[in-house]
Amino acid sequence: MAATTIWKGVITFAETRVAVKLHAAIKEERIGLHLLHRPDLVRLRQEMICALEKKPVPTAEQTKGFEVEEGKYLLVDPEELEQTVPESSRWIEVHEFVKRAQVDPVFFERAYYLEPDFAATGYNELVEGLHELDVAGICTWTMRKRSYLGALQASGTILRLHTLRYADEVIAANSLGLEEIPVSERELNIGRELINQLTAPFLPQKFVNEHEKKLQQLIEKKARGETIKVLRPRLLHPTAADKLLQALEASLKKAA
Amino acid sequence: MVHQGIWSGTISFSLVAIPVQLVRAVVPGRITFRLLHRTDYSPLTRRMFCPQHDTLVPPEEIIRGYEIEPGRYLPITDQELESVSPERSRTIEIVDFIDLDEMDPLYFDRPYYLVPLKGGEKSYCLLAEVMRQTNRAGLAKFVLAEREHLVAVKSTERVLTLVTLHYQDDVLSADAFAPKEESSVAEKNRIKGSIRKMMAAFDPGKYADARREKVLDLLKSKAQESAPVEAPHTTAEEGEGPPDLVAALEEIMREVKKKR
Repeated sequence: MAATTIWKGVITFAETRVAVKLHAAIKEERIGLHLLHRPDLVRLRQEMICALEKKPVPTAEQTKGFEVEEGKYLLVDPEELEQTVPESSRWIEVHEFVKRAQVDPVFFERAYYLEPDFAATGYNELVEGLHELDVAGICTWTMRKRSYLGALQASGTILRLHTLRYADEVIAANSLGLEEIPVSERELNIGRELINQLTAPFLPQKFVNEHEKKLQQLIEKKARGETIKVLRPRLLHPTAADKLLQALEASLKKAA
Repeated sequence: MVHQGIWSGTISFSLVAIPVQLVRAVVPGRITFRLLHRTDYSPLTRRMFCPQHDTLVPPEEIIRGYEIEPGRYLPITDQELESVSPERSRTIEIVDFIDLDEMDPLYFDRPYYLVPLKGGEKSYCLLAEVMRQTNRAGLAKFVLAEREHLVAVKSTERVLTLVTLHYQDDVLSADAFAPKEESSVAEKNRIKGSIRKMMAAFDPGKYADARREKVLDLLKSKAQESAPVEAPHTTAEEGEGPPDLVAALEEIMREVKKKR
């Protein structure tokens, strides 16, 4: 596989410097559907619409503003925003190391494989060290005029760099204000036992995207002019709160 | 906080079914600046536009379609799309539970929260609490619009978080990048020593704060240079800056006004 290098950088912390090349870790190809105008099947475009004139505004006529109070904006030119981005550099600076399990899945954004740049030293040793201590390095770097926050991790014999979302982009779970409903000890016990019964090793290869093939078949059928049989989505009957214990017991019996 | 539902249906494990709604867990777009029209300072909103009719298109006039040849599209209705996998379009059926520690972040794609709908509150609390106690996540497949997602559902402070996962088929091979050289034990121990000295608790807030400071500095200098512009009055549109930044800026604006 001729993998293309996305960017080159140098991991740095304390006296350690490891030169690496970034490669994409994920490639997704999906059937792309477009949005059309129903009456004439013309493909729609996304446009930025002026709230006053109700018409599309070309990029050259767009500017950015920060709303200081309702309807009042401090004008900020997009170019000036770029200047807040730090100077480009090659450093992937590790600020601290944290136990891997501490980084919640909600933060992970994109994954890159790191290949040792030729003449790089310390790569294998860093991989082993991260493994043995079960830690991730929290780091920042600037790539293509954008600053990134990331987690440096070891996986097998290689290093991976994950970009992380900033904390202020993540909605806190407790801000949803969900009500806590008391659950009996008995229900919890059976629930735990049931989950233990249904636990399996994480084998992602077990799951394939069957839907994609079926969608392709649907498109082919329609293209041939065949009518598509519309199937109703399966709807499950919600378990009533006073039937929960019963449902859990029946589930446990079924799983055993 | 008002959360807008993206999808509603049922999440199930074995014989227990819980009505839920899918909501956002992430606010995209970093610190938000509003796009404005340079000429009249009116805010801009993203809308679907028909180039043929030269008009804005309301949601009910939009249909999905597949491009069969350049410029020619095959329309596909939402009902037809739901028929592709009818068992998964309204149901998130947990098929396996896995240990959270086994989850590899390589697969993580987009996070959402699930909130219970009426009548599902108790079963929801039970599932969230049991997964929290056992440190487990549930695996399921479900279809959102035209895409099928493999998802992991876990408990975060007793709220169910749903993370879409990449399929194994979409994960590129890393074999080519594996280093060939031997490693030195002395060098490894030196690196481990450095790592130990740099251990900390994960505190993502401080990185967000540092970035926020930078933007505030820029806004501060902008506020000194010129007064804010006023947008023409139109019917209210969605979208506003993050409230904490607004509060900080109000302070700045007051100081600027005093000096003038």
